[in-house]
Amino acid sequence: MADFDVIQGNKALAYGVKLARVEVIPTYPITPQTTIIEYLAEFVANGELDAEYIHTDGEHSCMGAAVGAALAGARVFTSTCSQGLAYMHECVAQAVNYRTPLLLGVTNRTLGWYWSLGPDYSDIMPELNLGYLVNFAESNQEVLDMTLQLYKVAEDYRVLLPTMMSLDGFYLSYSQERVWMPDQNLVDKWLPPYKAPYPVDPTINDKFPTASIPSVMHTPMRRIYEEVLQDSKKVIQEVDASFGKTFGRHYGGLIEEYKTEGAEVLLVTMGSMTTAARRAIDKLRSEGEKIGLIKLRFMRPFPDIEMREIAGKVKAIGVVDRMMLHGTRGGGAFQDVKAALYNSNVKVPLQGFVTGMGGEDIPIDDMYSMGKKVLQVAKAKRIEKEVEFIEHKLTEMGKPIEVEWAEPIYPGSDGCAGCGASIIVRHLLKVLGPNTIIINPPSCSGVNYGQAVRVPWVLANFAAAAAYETGVYRALKKKGKADKVYITSFAGDGGTADIGLQSLSGAAERGELIIWLCYDNEAYMNTGIQRSGSTPLFSVTTTTPAGKVIPGKQVRRKNLEMIMAAHRIPYIATASLSYLPDLERKIKKAVEVTKAGKGLAFLHVQQPCATGWYFPESKTVEIGKLAVQTGAWPLMEIDEGNFKLNVKPKELRPIAEYLKPQGRFRHLSEVQLEYLQKDAQIEWNALLELEKRGRFPGY
Amino acid sequence: MSLDKSVIKGFALMDMSTRGGQYVGNWRVLMPEIDEAKCIACGLCATICPEAAIAGKPKVKPKIDMRFCKGCGICANECPQKAIEMKQEAKK
Repeated sequence: MADFDVIQGNKALAYGVKLARVEVIPTYPITPQTTIIEYLAEFVANGELDAEYIHTDGEHSCMGAAVGAALAGARVFTSTCSQGLAYMHECVAQAVNYRTPLLLGVTNRTLGWYWSLGPDYSDIMPELNLGYLVNFAESNQEVLDMTLQLYKVAEDYRVLLPTMMSLDGFYLSYSQERVWMPDQNLVDKWLPPYKAPYPVDPTINDKFPTASIPSVMHTPMRRIYEEVLQDSKKVIQEVDASFGKTFGRHYGGLIEEYKTEGAEVLLVTMGSMTTAARRAIDKLRSEGEKIGLIKLRFMRPFPDIEMREIAGKVKAIGVVDRMMLHGTRGGGAFQDVKAALYNSNVKVPLQGFVTGMGGEDIPIDDMYSMGKKVLQVAKAKRIEKEVEFIEHKLTEMGKPIEVEWAEPIYPGSDGCAGCGASIIVRHLLKVLGPNTIIINPPSCSGVNYGQAVRVPWVLANFAAAAAYETGVYRALKKKGKADKVYITSFAGDGGTADIGLQSLSGAAERGELIIWLCYDNEAYMNTGIQRSGSTPLFSVTTTTPAGKVIPGKQVRRKNLEMIMAAHRIPYIATASLSYLPDLERKIKKAVEVTKAGKGLAFLHVQQPCATGWYFPESKTVEIGKLAVQTGAWPLMEIDEGNFKLNVKPKELRPIAEYLKPQGRFRHLSEVQLEYLQKDAQIEWNALLELEKRGRFPGY
Repeated sequence: MSLDKSVIKGFALMDMSTRGGQYVGNWRVLMPEIDEAKCIACGLCATICPEAAIAGKPKVKPKIDMRFCKGCGICANECPQKAIEMKQEAKK
């Protein structure tokens, strides 16, 4: 047996994917899933895993790429959670009827009812009933083992359905546990390469999965899929047994029983909370209570027969839920257990609990009291309140410190020391004044400054911020307020160049009278420095590491100004926090243009990021200046088609002056450096040429 | 941040009138010190401080609110007179 490692859940999943020799990995970052794709990026960049790694532009595309790759016959892995999973939903459903046995890792995090990074199952809840096999892991070891098991189950021709692996964000994703590493040779033998029965490949076959069937076939197909899902239970058991035989660990199929022998009362749990429940059961058992535990390992297919069988032997059952089904009074697991028992001969009181939402811890003490409660129910033979919410008091929040001066942003924010984004927010609000609404797709600024500004800061969804902004603007216009209120975005480069581009393009084309300000720190900083469409060539990020085989980002950034110019909007400008008078003038110009009814104004402001670019935090403004003077970030504007360079050094300074102080370019070879120098000069010459022409082509 | 109760049941609101920051001064490792003799009161440090922790404008000598200064040192790095020095924070 190979040895063990002490690793986080996300790393266990990444190792599972590596051991399974997954062939295609589409990715998009979201907390707390990010380190999975970072580890995988490292494996690929260092040549340890021979896989196609796809940096997609949003979760919808990410799942699209996953389904596409699986259709073409590859073993596929992707992962997400929360808002990302919701955004994926359409493509998630599509994977079922294409019979693609891909694995979707879900690092559970609450869906934005109220935003939180902590786990509950509101993200995976809407995806449960699509036809996936859905597994919930309790430990990091189970995460790794089930990654291998799920591929084996899913690729079995008796099943051939996509699977989801659910691991609780933070409690598993970022918790260190001992994990035994299976031997690669053993895994290779146990899990041979996937052979798709009907891959989309005209060179080898002429039958392909279809997306549409006559409506008369829909009902029969739903019956058949349900049969396949129910039949998959047998495969799950088989695979678990064979895994146990090969690797020495097995989990018991759809449910796991803990101290159920002679139990008169049961607690039902799922995911990482089960560990706390085990300790509570131990305590109750030591006190002489006849109580046991059922861990729901698979939510789909639901272990209904197993539950019926075991429920027949007890006097009461309590179901602990981290999943609230609004409008049904209770949680998801509670309703599923209830449904499983209803048409059976088993009549047993069922007590529901909802707790741990938004990532709140479910401590052993709570599990203990829930156990006690169910014991009471068994004794009384009736239920007082069908579902109980286990709640805790809010600990006193720190009182905010009032300051005398009237800056548009309060000091004392959560932003990194030396953060450039706050300099931009401050000067944006200095120009626009208090009657401003900021629309903000998820970004580090939303986390840090959303609560620090003196104006409304609306957290929009990632792919729809320009649409949110449009909606706010149109409503104010309808109410005759459009002249009195300024509406601007404060969007990162991901929310502008990648996932937000479609909605921004729509708003630009419609000529919405709004400002779009993109503060560009050239990576997804909020989730921990993953590459974006705006990350420059050769830059290191956590998903484009300086690997032995692939050193840094291998493609050039998108040219956002040109993209926006193609929309022929009235005003486009780049700006820098190191040239504040120029930035302020451009913000004023953007206001002028929108208030004159000319269309959308686009401001693209570079924000050197000490944390993500790895330079000393005192150098934020200095680096910004160097970017302009070396041609890495030319200051320009396109004013109703008239192109102008705003800062024109006689000669560009060597690009190395800008790159050398930054850790993200530390790995650059001479060849790469020379290439970047040439590239900057070519770009600069092209801009000089454009300025000579005066008019921008297409306007 | 403060969450205020609305008149509508279960409607969480953020009240802008009660906002304010936290003591982030304790993040600081290095502490800026202004040399009054060298300072020409240009106002640049107050303009570029990411934390808005410096009160000051042209012709008014800057004052740093140490409750909020995270000690990033941008002010010292950018000061045209080199009138700000980052010094080791005194042990608390």
